[in-house]
Amino acid sequence: MPSMSTAIRPRTEEAVSARTLSSSIGYGVLYVVLAATAVLQLLPLLWLLLFSLKNNQEIFNLSPFALPKTLHWSNYSTVWEQGSIGRYFFNSLWITVVSVVLTILLANFVTFAMTRMKWKLSGIVLGLFMIGMMIPVHSTLIPLFSLFKKVHLTDSQLSIVLSYIAFNLPLTIMILMGFYMALPKEVEEASIMDGCSVNRMFFRIILPMTASVSVTAAIINMIYNWNEFIFVNTFLSDDSKKTLTVGIQNFVGQYTTNWGAIGATLMISILPILVIFFLLSNRIVEGIAAGSVKG
Amino acid sequence: MNTVMSNKRIIALYVLPSLFLILAIIYVPIVLTGYYGLMNWNGIGKPSYIGLANYKTLMHDSVFWHSTFHSLLFALLSTLCLILYLAVALVLSGKIRGANLLRKIYLIPMLLSSVAIAQLWLKVYHPTNGILNGLLEKLGFHHTPEWLADPHIVLYAIFIPILWQFAGFYILIYYAALKNIPASLVEAAKIDGANALQVALRIKLPLISEVIKVTIVLAVVGSLKYFDLIYVMTDGGPNQASEVMASYMYHKAFREFDFGYGSAIGFFLLIICLVATWVIRRLTATKDTIQYS
Amino acid sequence: MKSKILTLGTLLIATTLVVTACGGNSGNNNAANSSAGTDNSASDSSNANASSGNSNSGAASDEKITLKMMHLWPDGSNSAQNKMVTDIISEYEKANPNVTIDTEVLENEQYKNKLKVLSASNDLPDVGFTWAAGFMDPYVNGNMFAPVDDLLQGELKDKFVAGTTEAYSFGGKTYALPVELNIVPVYYNKEIFAKYNLQAPKTLDELKTVIKTLNDNNVTPITLGGKDAWPSSFWYMYLADRIGGPDVMDKAVASNDFNDPALLDAAKQAQELVNMNAFVKGYNGLSNEEAKALFMNEKAAMFAMGTWEVPNYTTSPDVPQAFKDKIGYFKFPTVDGGKGNVDDWVGGPGVGLFVSQNSKHVDEAKKFVSFFVQKWGEHSVTDAGVIPATKVDTSTVKLPPMFIDLLNELNKASKVTLYLDTQMKPGASDAHHNLVQALLGKAVTPDEFIKKQDEALKAGK
Repeated sequence: MPSMSTAIRPRTEEAVSARTLSSSIGYGVLYVVLAATAVLQLLPLLWLLLFSLKNNQEIFNLSPFALPKTLHWSNYSTVWEQGSIGRYFFNSLWITVVSVVLTILLANFVTFAMTRMKWKLSGIVLGLFMIGMMIPVHSTLIPLFSLFKKVHLTDSQLSIVLSYIAFNLPLTIMILMGFYMALPKEVEEASIMDGCSVNRMFFRIILPMTASVSVTAAIINMIYNWNEFIFVNTFLSDDSKKTLTVGIQNFVGQYTTNWGAIGATLMISILPILVIFFLLSNRIVEGIAAGSVKG
Repeated sequence: MNTVMSNKRIIALYVLPSLFLILAIIYVPIVLTGYYGLMNWNGIGKPSYIGLANYKTLMHDSVFWHSTFHSLLFALLSTLCLILYLAVALVLSGKIRGANLLRKIYLIPMLLSSVAIAQLWLKVYHPTNGILNGLLEKLGFHHTPEWLADPHIVLYAIFIPILWQFAGFYILIYYAALKNIPASLVEAAKIDGANALQVALRIKLPLISEVIKVTIVLAVVGSLKYFDLIYVMTDGGPNQASEVMASYMYHKAFREFDFGYGSAIGFFLLIICLVATWVIRRLTATKDTIQYS
Repeated sequence: MKSKILTLGTLLIATTLVVTACGGNSGNNNAANSSAGTDNSASDSSNANASSGNSNSGAASDEKITLKMMHLWPDGSNSAQNKMVTDIISEYEKANPNVTIDTEVLENEQYKNKLKVLSASNDLPDVGFTWAAGFMDPYVNGNMFAPVDDLLQGELKDKFVAGTTEAYSFGGKTYALPVELNIVPVYYNKEIFAKYNLQAPKTLDELKTVIKTLNDNNVTPITLGGKDAWPSSFWYMYLADRIGGPDVMDKAVASNDFNDPALLDAAKQAQELVNMNAFVKGYNGLSNEEAKALFMNEKAAMFAMGTWEVPNYTTSPDVPQAFKDKIGYFKFPTVDGGKGNVDDWVGGPGVGLFVSQNSKHVDEAKKFVSFFVQKWGEHSVTDAGVIPATKVDTSTVKLPPMFIDLLNELNKASKVTLYLDTQMKPGASDAHHNLVQALLGKAVTPDEFIKKQDEALKAGK
């Protein structure tokens, strides 16, 4: 970096104080903008909360942030009583967790093999994975249903888990790839010099180093899986096997829709993901610190 | 070194399970989509082979070209928005008090499902009692736009929520990438007297260039096959003014029972994505990958 | 020489195809018998007593049968219908202990998608709901549905309102049995009308005066969910009927010819209403749900919608009585010099029950369908406020006045024209949605509207 060396010059007292003054004004403006944006991003949650406490009329006629005359907490009890929310919730949870863990693990394997190991077909295989992102979901429904029928997986939650993994793998690999490619070569060289096996190196050194990006990819995967409903609707029939997003559709009617209850369902379904998100996203920062790069 | 890192058994062990899954669950549909694209098939009963007739119709289908144009426009706009997301991520990853809380708050919209986002923005755009027109009327505008009913505006009106919806996704990726840069490199540059902007442009951006390339591909491919919000907010209307490739495919295959034609659109969409990816790869190709030194 | 062999080969293949196609298609009874025959455990097959009909004795057979049924009334949004389905099923299961009925419930749009995916894989449920006419055309042509004429000539004879089952018949055979029947009145807010000294309009000119008066007083005359397109179609259809007479649309669809001058005049009239600002601002961006909310909140004076809305103006506990009292309805006004009658309605049966042709238990499924339709007819008006397609004796049930009035309107209707988008095949129907949206959005001229609709019909998809 040539420009860096020229930048070194002795600083006078005044220059420093002028710089702090202008930078503190700059920081002030920056904070105002940042805070305003934060408020803007928080509004949807507030809106959703209010939405879930209104009836249909109020939802359509009141301003979105106006308080309803009476708070319709009954929307929540309606949701609780009518939809089998508890079961949906449990299904959503385990399907999401299993799919995310497997996707992240498999994607790390593949990305490692493609970016760090040397083999002839790696380019082609990478291409195969990338093309996997390009097919529109609705083209896959009919073929996939026949496929699952042939292997007797219709109405099985396994079909959902497998689909989630397969459809999220390309995206996850793409996200991981950018990071893997930036990893210094010295890491492997050093560990191989030490007589480390590839497996050991992958699990002990590489995987921890990519923790921050793996967590990032996991969050994205989690959100996608948690909110997905087309596959669930198409491949599952048994109500007891379905997930939370189907609970939302329980309130969409032939001629009328119970929007308040949908709001309540959305609210219930967003809470766990909010909590997990807040917990996991700390790991993004910690990720690199936990890695084995020292100095 | 080389022998260890090209151990065939390990490569197979690492790649084959995923590859098999992809081939079964994604490539079977891709191949079948290509196959159905050559058929006259309503999705029920026996398909009949008609060669490239669907594709010939496609070439003269003005609605299809409109929707392709709309999709490409979305792809372009989404790519431009990446700059905005990157700037936010740069600010957040810097040493800012409360950054930790702020960045979490910024990502909240991402957690909402498309159903919720669509409902929220329908309320924003409502012609008579929406937030936006309410605001405009307070500012003294009398002829407020009919955001989702006006064919000239609808496409852009729908793009704003999409931009907003995906902000969290890209900011999250950039943020993680920026946090992955060893602090020592940034510190060294600062000791050398570089200011924040210089550090960002000269140190940080080159180091995450691979991630940026990846996000460009993701943004373009994601936009080209985008469906969710459009389906809920306008269903491609009015008068197909906001129709995109994926929604047009859906309408043909599932509403009009023309599964053969729908599949042809789906296959064409795949090819456009491939071409776009190839172009991006060529445009962003660098001689050697930048690594931490 | 080579080409001869080739043609011979293709001929051979073609013949085999025809033979196999015919084999799978040789009438319902055969198929039913053979499939029943494959159920080897059934010594006294349920076949015999199923066709004899209303045997609730339950002594039919010991063979355990599970029927799969799909419907579109989730508990959360259509709880009344949902409960009726559950009740009817449990009643049936009680009477027929060997039969278990598994239901799957999906919301409207998802229901349609899944039905399509299932039929592509030949995996339809034994019993399910379909929409009439154009929607079911591909299913009927693909031999997905079993004809149910034996039921219609048997135990269900004369149970249906005349003309309702025709919407489900193709080539002389009926493939589904309707459960609902709706017509489309124009609801209006009597208080708003009284405030501006307005009467329910009897002619189009009067309607225009009403619209003008309301606009002059800054009241939105008509609310309309143009994004969903089918509500817009009501307006076009009524204009076409009032101008061109009761058969003009049926004839156009049947002959794939949309060139009748009355259809063009209707398109012109529709745009004239648009020019008068008859419809709420931004209607083409509003869903029916959003449009309806404006009427419910008295922000618009008129709303043309199916009779499924009547509970909102009569019995629904969620709507304040004060609002209900303000709502009346009028029949769509006539057009001077037009051929249509004020008692012509737009409407028709909604969803109907089908039995899957590939069901392993076609006869059991039919028996259940017959039971279902009858029970539904008995309960739907009183329990759910839904007008069934079976005949209702208004003298024995206690109903709100608006309900009785509309049931009587239905009885004296001179014609009920089935919704155009339902009449047309899926391709033309989707085109109709786009075109009617474009017409009311003034994105096409009336001439272009006619021309494009004509092309879509002639494409035959």
